[in-house]
Order: sequence, then structure tokens, then C-alpha cells
Amino acid sequence: MDAHKLVQMANQIATFFESDPDPAAINDGIAGHIRRFWDPRMRRALLQHIDEHAGEGCRPAVLAAIAANRDNLTPAR
Amino acid sequence: MKRRLRAGARLIVIDPRGIDLVRSAHIEAAHHLQLRPGTNVAVINALAHVVVTEGLYAESFVRTRCEQPAFDKWKAFISDPRHAPEVTEEVTGVPAAELRAAARLYATGGNAAIYYGLGVTEHSQGSTMVMGIANLAMVTGNIGRPGVGVNPLRGQNNVQGSCDMGSFPHELPGYRHVSDPAVRALFGAAWGVDIDSEPGLRIPNMFDAAIGGSFKGLYVQGEDIAQSDPNTQHVFAALESLECLVVQDLFINETAKFAHVFLPGSSFLEKDGTFTNAERRISRVRKVTPPLAGKADWETTLALAEALGYPMHYTHPSQIMDEIARLTPTFTGVSYARLDELGSIQWPCNDKAPVGTPVMHIDEFVRGKGKFVITEYVATEERVNRKFPLILTTGRILSQYNVGAQTRRTANNTWHDEDRLELHPHDAEQRGIKDGEWCKIVSRAGETILRATISERMQPGVVYTTFHFPGSGANVITTENSDWATNCPEYKVTAVQVSPTTEPASKWQRRFGEFSEQQDALLPQSDPR
Repeated sequence: MDAHKLVQMANQIATFFESDPDPAAINDGIAGHIRRFWDPRMRRALLQHIDEHAGEGCRPAVLAAIAANRDNLTPAR
Repeated sequence: MKRRLRAGARLIVIDPRGIDLVRSAHIEAAHHLQLRPGTNVAVINALAHVVVTEGLYAESFVRTRCEQPAFDKWKAFISDPRHAPEVTEEVTGVPAAELRAAARLYATGGNAAIYYGLGVTEHSQGSTMVMGIANLAMVTGNIGRPGVGVNPLRGQNNVQGSCDMGSFPHELPGYRHVSDPAVRALFGAAWGVDIDSEPGLRIPNMFDAAIGGSFKGLYVQGEDIAQSDPNTQHVFAALESLECLVVQDLFINETAKFAHVFLPGSSFLEKDGTFTNAERRISRVRKVTPPLAGKADWETTLALAEALGYPMHYTHPSQIMDEIARLTPTFTGVSYARLDELGSIQWPCNDKAPVGTPVMHIDEFVRGKGKFVITEYVATEERVNRKFPLILTTGRILSQYNVGAQTRRTANNTWHDEDRLELHPHDAEQRGIKDGEWCKIVSRAGETILRATISERMQPGVVYTTFHFPGSGANVITTENSDWATNCPEYKVTAVQVSPTTEPASKWQRRFGEFSEQQDALLPQSDPR
């Protein structure tokens, strides 16, 4: 998967949830959306990009949501 | 809708173009909010801002039917002066006074219904806009009784039916997520298989994964993704990357030219089944003639399943509907016999609603209390600049149906025999473009050449084309930007530059013409097993 596109998609998702004044809702919203709608290979590729490139290009809210929900977002296989 | 307008209903049109509904025989919209493409959310927020700050909202509906904390949070958000029409005017191009008048009419003019099309969804903020529409309908109490509501007009006759039946990569029929173990167990037991708990890829993700090598096979039924999807060159590369592409269609469409296997499709007159329209109305489709292909579509799918080692034992589509009724709580009362008896049925149809449900959300919403959602306007990343100063928006016209695979083969071409670029006289004059002459359209994704139609229906700065003819290459120029939640492509906003040319075809169009000729020449040699 094209990591650049996945980062762009994750940032778009974050931009929507960031408008919620409740910080917990932002984390849950971003991670919940990615968990419910992203195919495992897309989640895996995003996590790999974050690990290997220090989260390059990702909005801080994306990194925070993923850090807080890492286990849930990691595909089982 | 036209009948209601002739009977005196007042109409607000929100559209970048001066479409026929703004003004035509017997119709004159009370307000036309001619917004710039890509600014829908700013407009809907401004409408809600006026309703709330002028005290026009339905307080008792909000109090009894909606979640109070979410409403309070949303009210604080939407009351902020940044959503005032006088502020948003600069971004949207919609005059503040006109927008205020439209908001007052919607909130106080009696029953008000919202109808929307792909001009809402085909944006990077399409989902946000749908939530903004729901906010506006709830805050004015325009939901849950006849004559009001939110009505998405579908792009095709059975989009609703496909969605109802789980045609999403994350859902089973009845809008139930695959992560729900109870739902998986139900379908797993009926089908004798283990169902994956993970969501799958959406079409644009499939293209990327095909190019990346992890997605190898695709079975396309009745859709022409080679023509309809954005960034054609990327789509072609993805289709060429597949190890196995099976296309089932009435015609050798553009996607079929890339297929390893072509399965003939059957038309609506050649099969039994149902269509479901946007008001959740399930109607029977009856076979009037045997399928020319020898099999109705569902029989072809059965034959394919059998060949793959999974025999299915249906002998008539009514048995498939019976299975749907067994497994889907909103369809429990639906059967072909019941459809014949009632004529048509609007789901949910079950013990609680034995003859179906014409109006939803009467006493409560499906989730219980209505929830207001914060819908901040975020400009699309597809920006105009000096190199690409115009916004291209694409759409359809009445006489051609979508990619035209069906209608281009009919006399409808008499009305519309080519896709043209529509632009405002000011933009045309500035560039020396003349009506009927060739012009080149260049975007960040590609370029194509079309004839120009100069029209005051357009606003300066915005150009428009249809995509009914594959050789037009309309989607060579559209980009892969998509909605944040659904990945629905942003067909409605592409930054472009337009210039006059004497060439009748771009490089891509010439290559495409040669490819099509080659495919057509190969067709008689194919093995029609």
C-alpha cells in the first residue's frame, strides 16, 4: 500500500474528529474509524510507516490516537 | 417534486450551476445558493447558524427527541460568528442576505424536506455534509413525519438495495458490521463458512493494493470502473496488474477490455428479482423474456460458485429473498408472495411493522435520541492556484445514464452525442476559447481535450463536464482525493487550467482510441465458451 496515501487518509479522518472539544472523543473517533473501516493490510502499512519513519507526515492527533490504541489496531495476522 | 412546485411549494436550490430546477417551465426557485464547488459544509453550517442564532429552531423537538449534551456542544459550535453567512460568503460565494432568507424559509415555511444527490457525497467532506444536513433537519424538527425528512437521491436504480444487502467491505446485510460475532455466527451457520471479522478494501484501496501486488482478483458485476472511477491512468494500471479480472455485464464495456473472463449479463427484463429505491421501497422486477445470455445474473453467480466448489441450491430468486428475511431483522416480513399482495414494501417490515414502514424516525431515531455532530468546514486539499486556476466539477445529464454503457447504444445520442466542457463567457473570453471549438483541460492528474460550450449557467471560475463517453477522458483529469470517511471520490472538485487548441485529441485520447480499436478487432477471435 502507498504509505503517503494512507497518511493522507488518516490525517483527513483526524481533521474531522479534531473538531470535537473532548480530547478522549478525538482519540476514540480516529482509532475507532480506522479499526472499523480499514482493511488489515492498510492498518499494518500505516503502523509500519509510523514505526519506520517516526510518524512522518502524520498529524499529532493521528499519532496520539494510534499510540493509545495500538493493540486494537494491530491486525491479528 | 415538480408537481409539488406547481402546487405552490417553495424551492431552495443549492448548486454551483444554474440548473433547470432553478428556473424552467412552471418552476422558479425561491432561492438559488450558487456556491463554489467544495464549500458545501460551509453553506450548511451557515444555514444552521442562522436558524440557531435567530431563534428559529424547534426547541421542543430538540428537547424531547435529541441528546441534550450533544446539542449544547453543537449549539455553542454553530453559534460561533465564524459560521455567520457574512463571514462564509467570502469562501462560498453565496451572498449572506440570500443565505439568511433561505435559512428562514427552510426553518419557518412549514414542512420542509431535503433532497440531495451526488453533489453532496462526491466531496472530501461528503460525509461531514450528510451529518450537517441531518443536524439542520433535526434542529428544525423536519424529520419523522410525512412531507419532511432527508432524502438521498441515488445515482442508480438499486443503490439502496445493494447497500441494504451488505455491498460494503465491512458489512453483512441489514447494515451489520462484520466485527459483530453474533451476526457472523448467524450468517456463518446459514452459509456453512467462517466469515472474516475484518473489513475488506474499498474500490480505490483495491486499485492501490492491486498495483502494490497484494490484491490479485476482482469480479465486477454491472459496473464500469475503467470509465467511472477517477484518475483513469491509475485505474488502468490497477486493472492491468490483476491476475484475474472477471466482468459480468450486458455489454463489452471499458472494464471488460481488461478482463480475463467475460460473463454475459442479463437485463432487468430477463430476470426475476427486486429493486429498492431511495425511500426503502422494495419492488418486484419480473422476467418477461428469457435471458439472451442463457442465464439470469443470479444463475451465472450460482454457476461460478459451483465451479469454485461451493454449490448453492436456489432454484428461484424468491428463495434468496426468503433467506434474506430469515437473516435480516428489517426484512423478516418480506417475501415475493407478500410483495405481490402489497405491491411493494418499504423496510423495516417485520412483526412490529407487518406492512412495512413508509416513514421512519416517527417517535424515536434508530439509535434512540438524535445526536448533533460537530461539522467543521475543512477546505479540500485540491486547491486552485496560478497554474490551475479553475474548478472543474463533473456531472450527468438527463438523456445519458452514468457512464453511458447502456444509453450510448441508443438513439438518446441524438440529444447528447459528446461530452463538452461548459464554461462561463468571461473565462472563455479571457482564454480566447470559442463556442464549439476544441479546448485542452489540464489538471494535476492528467489532460484531455473537449469541445467548449459557453454558458451563463456556469459561474466564473467554475467549469463543468459530463463523463458519458469513454473517449472524453473526463476521469483522466479527476484526482484520487476522496471523502474522509467513505473514500467516495471527489469528482466535484478538480483544479484545472483550460486553453484553446487546434488538436482534437490529447495523447491519452489517441492512445485510448488505438487501444479500443485493437480490442474491438480482437473480439471476433475470442472464444465464446
